[in-house]
Amino acid sequence: MEEMWVNMGPQHPSTHGVLRLLLKLDGEVVRECIPYLGYMHRCHEKIGENRAYVQIIPYTDRLDYLASMYNNWAYCLACERLMEIPIPERAEYLRVIIGELQRIASHLIWLGTFGLDLGNFTLFMWCFREREMVLDLFEAVSGQRLNYSFMRIGGLALDVPEGWLADVKAFLAYFKPRLLEYDRLTTDQIIWQKRIQGVGILKPEDAISYACSGPMLRGSGIRWDLRRDDPYGIYDRFDFDIPVGVSGDVWDRFWVRRREMEESVKIVEQALKDIPPGPVLSPVAKKLRAPVGDIYSRVESPRGELGHYIVADGSERPYRYKVRAPTFANLSALPVMLPGYMVADAVAVLGSVDIVLCEVDR
Amino acid sequence: MIGIMTAEDILQQIQSRFGGEIRTAEVRRGEACVTIGADRNYEICRFIREELGYDYLNCLSGVDWPTDNEMEVVYAISSLKQPGKIMLRARVPRDEPVLRSVVPLWATANWHEREAYDLLGIRFENHPDLRRILLSEDWIGHPLQKDYQDERFVPYPWDDRKPGTVARPTTA
Repeated sequence: MEEMWVNMGPQHPSTHGVLRLLLKLDGEVVRECIPYLGYMHRCHEKIGENRAYVQIIPYTDRLDYLASMYNNWAYCLACERLMEIPIPERAEYLRVIIGELQRIASHLIWLGTFGLDLGNFTLFMWCFREREMVLDLFEAVSGQRLNYSFMRIGGLALDVPEGWLADVKAFLAYFKPRLLEYDRLTTDQIIWQKRIQGVGILKPEDAISYACSGPMLRGSGIRWDLRRDDPYGIYDRFDFDIPVGVSGDVWDRFWVRRREMEESVKIVEQALKDIPPGPVLSPVAKKLRAPVGDIYSRVESPRGELGHYIVADGSERPYRYKVRAPTFANLSALPVMLPGYMVADAVAVLGSVDIVLCEVDR
Repeated sequence: MIGIMTAEDILQQIQSRFGGEIRTAEVRRGEACVTIGADRNYEICRFIREELGYDYLNCLSGVDWPTDNEMEVVYAISSLKQPGKIMLRARVPRDEPVLRSVVPLWATANWHEREAYDLLGIRFENHPDLRRILLSEDWIGHPLQKDYQDERFVPYPWDDRKPGTVARPTTA
C-alpha cells in the first residue's frame, strides 16, 4: 500500500496543548513520527536572564502548569543551593507535603485526561473531582488555584492557615479508598487492559539513552527516583516504595503513576506526623546576589527530572538560566515508541508520556 | 564492573587520559568540573560514556561569553549506577562555534543540540538533523546570544522608573 504523511495536530485533543506530529502511515500502521515543537515558545530563558532571582518564581509557574508548586520548589532549591541559603525545618516539611499533594493532583489530571483519550469519560470526572479538593487546599494556602508562586528562596511565602494540616489529613482519608474506585474503571476493566497492554514499548536502554525520567524511566523497569537516589529536601527521612514496570509499555507507565499516588499518600502521612512548629522563611537579603559560579540542580517532579542550570556572574540576575524540562527529554523518545503500532494506539502512547507543552516549549 | 567512583577518581581518570586537552579541572559540590577546548569533545565524551560508564546525559546547555569571545557547551552527565556527576564544559571560539555532536553516544543530545543551535547558534558536526526546534524555521538570529537585538524584545529600563513615565523602546 502507498505510504502517506499525515499531520496529527497542532490542534488535536490528544496532544494536550499545541504539538504537531508528522506521521508516516502505511494504512493504519504508523511507520515514522516526527514531532514539531515550539508553538508555545516564549523564550523563558531569555526572560529569566532579565529578571532578578526572586522575580523568576512566577514564570516558573507557567512551565508545568499542572505541577506549579513543584516548579517553584525546583527553582528555589537551585537558587538555595547556589547561594547556600538554609531552609527552616517547618518549611522543609511543608514543601514535602505540598509537593506530594501536587504530585497526586498532577497524576490525577494525567489519569483523567488519559482516560478521556481512551474514551473513559467517567474516570475523567472522578479524577477531576478529587483534584478539585487538592486545588482547594492549595487555594487555602496561597490564594491561587493554578499558578501559586508560593515558594520563596529560603522557604515559603507564608505559613499554612490554622487547621490546614487537619484538612490535609481528612483529604487523605477520603482519597485512599477513591484509588480503589479508579481501579474498577481501569485495571479491572478488560477494554482498558486491551487498549494499553503491549503498546508503545520503550526498551530500558532506549529510556536511558533518551534520558527519560520519572514514570517513563520507571515504567521501563529501572528503579530510579531522585527522591531516593539523589535526595533533596528531607526526602531521606521518609519511607516509601518506588514502583517500577516490567515491559515498558503504556500499561506499565499507567501502573507506575497509579502506584505513585499511593506512595505520595504515604509520604504526606509521615510528614504530617512529625512536622515541627517554627518559622517558614529564612531571613534573606532583599536584593539577592549569587556568587560567581554555576549549578545544575535537579528534582523529581511528577513528570521526571526537572533540572535548573543557572550560571551566576555575581549580579542580581542570572547570567544564563536553562530549564531542563522532564517532558522535553521524554517526548524526544516518542519517535522510537510509535513505529509499528496503529494510529489509534498513537493517542494512547502520546498520552502515556504525560506531556505539558508549556514545559516542552518554554 | 567498575566500582563506585568519587568525583576525584573521575577527574583523575580524565586527566590521565586527556591531560593536554584540559584547561581547568576541579571538584565542586561533589561534581567533577572539567573545562576543555572544542577539538576533542567527542573523544572525551566517548571516554566518559563507554569507559567510565556514565550513561545518562542530564542536560546540555549552551552559554555565550562575549567577553572571552567564546561560547560554551555544558554537558551535565551522570550515571544511574554511580553517585558522582560530571560537568564538562567545552569552549568554542565565538566567531566559529562548531563542535562535534554527541548524538551517537546519547540520543537525548539530539534535541538538546538542536535547541543550542536554535537559541545560541552553536553548530554541531555530524548531527543527524540540525534544524531549529523551538523557533520557526525562518527566524533570523539566535535569541540567547548576549548581543541579540530585536525590536520586540526591549528590556524594561530599570534605572529610570519614575512614576508616570512610560518605558520607551531603546534601539541599539
